[in-house]
Amino acid sequence: MDVSLLVAQSMSGLSRGMMLFLIASGLSLIFGVMNILNFAHASLWLVGAYFCYSFWHLMQNHGFGMWVSIPLAALVLAAIGWVIEVVLIRRVYERELPEQLLLTYAMVLILGDLIKLTWGVEDKIIVRPPLVDGPVFFYGIPFDSYFIFVISIGFFVAIGLWWFLKKTKYGHIVRAAVFSREMVSALGIPIPRIYTGVFVLGIFIAGLAGAVQAPVGSITLGMDMAIVVQAFCVVVIGGFGSLLGTLVGSIIVGEVYAFSILFWPQGALVLIFIVTAVILIVRPWGLFGTPMRV
Amino acid sequence: MEILTKRYWWLGLVFIGALVLPLVVGEFWVHVAIEILILGLFAVSFNMIFGNMGQLSFGHAAYYGVGAYATGLLMVRASVPLPICLAASMVAAGICALILGYFCVRLTGIYFAILTLAFGQLLYYIIFQWYSFTRGDDGLQGIIPPGALFSATYYYYFTLFIVTGALIAMWYVNESPFGYTMRAIRENADRTRFIGINVRRYMLINFVVAGMFAGLAGGLWGPFNRSIAPDLCNWHQSGIPVFMTVIGGPLGFFGPMIGSIIYTFLMAFVTGFTEYWPLTIGLVIMFVVLFLPGGVLGLVEQKMKVFRSRDLETRGDRSAETGSS
Amino acid sequence: MSGEVILNVENLNKAFGGLQATDNVSYEMMTGELSAIIGPNGAGKSTFFNLITGYHAVDSGKVFFKDRDITNWPPHKITRLGIARAFQVSNIYPRLTTYENVRQATLAQQRRTLNFFTPANRLAKKETMQLLEITGLSQQANMISGNLSQGDKKRLELAIALGSKPELVFLDEPTAGMSGEETHETMELVKRLNREIGLTILFTEHDMSVVFGYARRLTVLHQGAVIAEGTPEEVRDNEEAQRVYLGEEA
Repeated sequence: MDVSLLVAQSMSGLSRGMMLFLIASGLSLIFGVMNILNFAHASLWLVGAYFCYSFWHLMQNHGFGMWVSIPLAALVLAAIGWVIEVVLIRRVYERELPEQLLLTYAMVLILGDLIKLTWGVEDKIIVRPPLVDGPVFFYGIPFDSYFIFVISIGFFVAIGLWWFLKKTKYGHIVRAAVFSREMVSALGIPIPRIYTGVFVLGIFIAGLAGAVQAPVGSITLGMDMAIVVQAFCVVVIGGFGSLLGTLVGSIIVGEVYAFSILFWPQGALVLIFIVTAVILIVRPWGLFGTPMRV
Repeated sequence: MEILTKRYWWLGLVFIGALVLPLVVGEFWVHVAIEILILGLFAVSFNMIFGNMGQLSFGHAAYYGVGAYATGLLMVRASVPLPICLAASMVAAGICALILGYFCVRLTGIYFAILTLAFGQLLYYIIFQWYSFTRGDDGLQGIIPPGALFSATYYYYFTLFIVTGALIAMWYVNESPFGYTMRAIRENADRTRFIGINVRRYMLINFVVAGMFAGLAGGLWGPFNRSIAPDLCNWHQSGIPVFMTVIGGPLGFFGPMIGSIIYTFLMAFVTGFTEYWPLTIGLVIMFVVLFLPGGVLGLVEQKMKVFRSRDLETRGDRSAETGSS
Repeated sequence: MSGEVILNVENLNKAFGGLQATDNVSYEMMTGELSAIIGPNGAGKSTFFNLITGYHAVDSGKVFFKDRDITNWPPHKITRLGIARAFQVSNIYPRLTTYENVRQATLAQQRRTLNFFTPANRLAKKETMQLLEITGLSQQANMISGNLSQGDKKRLELAIALGSKPELVFLDEPTAGMSGEETHETMELVKRLNREIGLTILFTEHDMSVVFGYARRLTVLHQGAVIAEGTPEEVRDNEEAQRVYLGEEA
C-alpha cells in the first residue's frame, strides 16, 4: 500500500467529511434545539447549489462570479428557511413525531419537483476560476485545489459555530435550549424567536454547503437523495445537537467512505449504515449527544 | 361478530363491489385495483406497529422488499409454485423482522424511527450490491405468474382472496387480547409492565407479525409487476404506508386501506397527465398533516359524532349518552 | 395471620445525584399484615416502593419475596411472582374505558395476552366485573377512564392492582383525592381483602386517621431512613417521630 495513495484518500475523505459537516451541522442544530428532524435539509442544500449556479451564470463574464454566488445563494436560502419556518414548521412544534416527519418529508417531494420545474433536468456545471481549478501539490501528491477550499470553509464554519455557541449570549441561550426548553422559556426568553433563528441559521449553512458543493463536478437532480441519508448517519453517529459530534461524525463517515473505496467499493454505504445502526443500538444519542434525549 | 355487522355493514357492499369490479372497468383499473390491495395490505401491516403499538417505523419496506425478493428469486430461479413462494416470503420477512426488530424495540420515538430507517437502507444497499444473488440495480426480471394467473383479472381475484384473508387474520389479532395488549403498551407502557407483561418481548412479537404481512404483500407484488428492484426496500417505499395510514387515519383498522385507495387512485389519475406526481402527493400530505390530523377516518368520525348527537337531541334521548357528571 | 415472612428487605440504598433517597432501609413483612409507611413529603416512601417493585435499580441491598431474591428484577417478572402496586399518581389507561383498564390486568394475570385469535370482548368478563363491583366502579364501567373523578381514578388504580391477583400489594396513597365516604369505603375494602383472602398490604398515607384507623403496624421514614417502627400507639408516643411531624402539621 502506497503512502501517497493513503494520504490522497484521507484528504479525499477529509474533504468529503467537511462537505458532510456543512450539511449535517444545520440538521444537527435544528434537531438538537427544536427536536425537528428535517428530512428536507438536503433538498434545501440542493436548492442552494442550484441558486449558486444561477447567480454564477448571471455573472459568468466576471472572474469573481463564483466567489460572489456562494454567499448570495446562502443568503437566499436563509430567506427561504425563514419563510418555511414561519409558514410550515411553526405549525407542527406541538404535534406528534409522525406528523413532523411527514411534513418535512412532504417538503422533500415538493422541493424535488420545484427544482425540476425551475431549473430543468439537465446537469448544471459551474466553471471554476483558475485559482481553484487545478491540482495543488503536497509532497508530490496532487490534490484538487478545490478540496482545500472546501476544507477551509468547513473549518471556518466550525469555528464560527463554536464561537457563536460558546462565546455569544445568543449562543448560550441556544445551548441551554438544547438541554432544557422549559428552563429557557421559564427565564422569559421567547422560545419561538429562538426556533426561528436556529432554523434560519441551519438552512443558511445548508445553503452555503450546497453553494460550495455546486462547483464540484456537476449539479444533478437526485443528488440530495444520495446525500441526505449520509447526513443522517453523520448526525446519528456524532450525536444530535453536538457541534463536536457532528464534526467527528462527518470525518468518520467521510473517511470510511474514502477508504472503503479502496478495498470494498460497493460496501461503502453498507459499512456506514452498519456503523450507524451499531451506534443507535449501543448509544442512541451518539458519541457526543446528550443522553437525556432518548 | 356483532361489531362487524353493526359498524361495518358497508364492508359487505365494498366486498361485493370488489368482486364485480373487473366486470365493469377496463384492464387498466383492474391493475390499479390490484395495486391498491397489495399496498393496502402493506399499509395495514405497517399500522400494526404505528397505530396499534404507537411507534413510527420508517423502514417497514425492508420486509416488503425481502418478501418480494423471496418470491421473485424462488419463482425465477427454482420455479417454485406461487402459494409456497408467498409462504416463504412471510417466513423470510418474519426472520428479518425478528433479527432487526430485536434491536429496534430497544428504542422508542424518534430513535426507533431512525433505526428502522437505517436498517431499511442497509437492506436496500445489501440487495443493491449483492449482484450475484439479486442482480442488484438491474433488478429481477421475468417474474411471471403461473398459468391462469397470467391474466390481470384472475390475478386480481387471487390477490383479493389472499389480501382479504390476511385482513381478516389481522382483524382477529387486533381484537384479540394480544391486540388489546399492544394498544395498552401504546397507551401506557409503564403500567403494562406492572401488570406483568414483558413489554419488549411483546413489541418484538408484534413487529415480527407486522413484518410477515408486509412480506406477504411484497410477495404478491413481484408477479404483478413482472419484475422487482432494490428500491422496494428504500425509505421512499417505506414512506408510502406512512402516507396511506395518515391519509386514511391511523386509529381505525381500515384507515390504511382507505389511504391506499385514495393514494393509489390519485397516483394512477395524476400520472396520467403530469410527471409532477411527487409535488402533488407532497401537497396532499402537507394538507392532511396540517388540516386533517385524524385522516379521512377521523373526519368521518367527527361528522358521524355531530350527526349522532344531533340525532339524539331531536329524539330527546339523553340516556343513550354514557353517564358523566 | 400466619407466621411466614413474605417480604424481607435488607439494607436498601438508593441515591439520585447527591440525594440519598433511601438510606440503609431494612424492612420485614409477615404474610397477612396490614401495615403502613409514613413520613413527610420526600421521605422516600415512593422510592421505597419503586425499588422493591423493580422500577428503579438499587444501589445496594437486597429484596426477598418469600425467600426468593428479587433484587433488581424487571417489573413484569415481579408482578408475575405475586406483587402488585397502585401508584400515587393514577397510572391508568386514560383513553380506554374503566372496564377495559381492569380487563387488561385480568387478561395479563390469566396469561391470555398471547392469544391472537379470540376476540377479547368475550374473555374475562366475570372476573373483570367482579373487580369493578368490589371497588365500586360498576356504574362507570363504560366510561372513558380519563373522565373519572380523582377518587374514582384511585379506585381504578386499586382495581387494576387487584387484577393481577397479588399476594402482596403496595398502595401509594390509596385515598388521595377521595371524599370522606369514599375513603371509608376504600379502606373498608382494603381491610376486608386483608381479612378474607389474607392479602398482605403495605400502604402509605398522609391522612393520619386512615393510618391510625387501619394499620396494625407503622414505620416512619425520614430523609430515606427508618426512624421509628411499631404499633400505631408506640409510634405516636415516639419522640423522634413527633419531631419529624411537628414541622409538617400545624
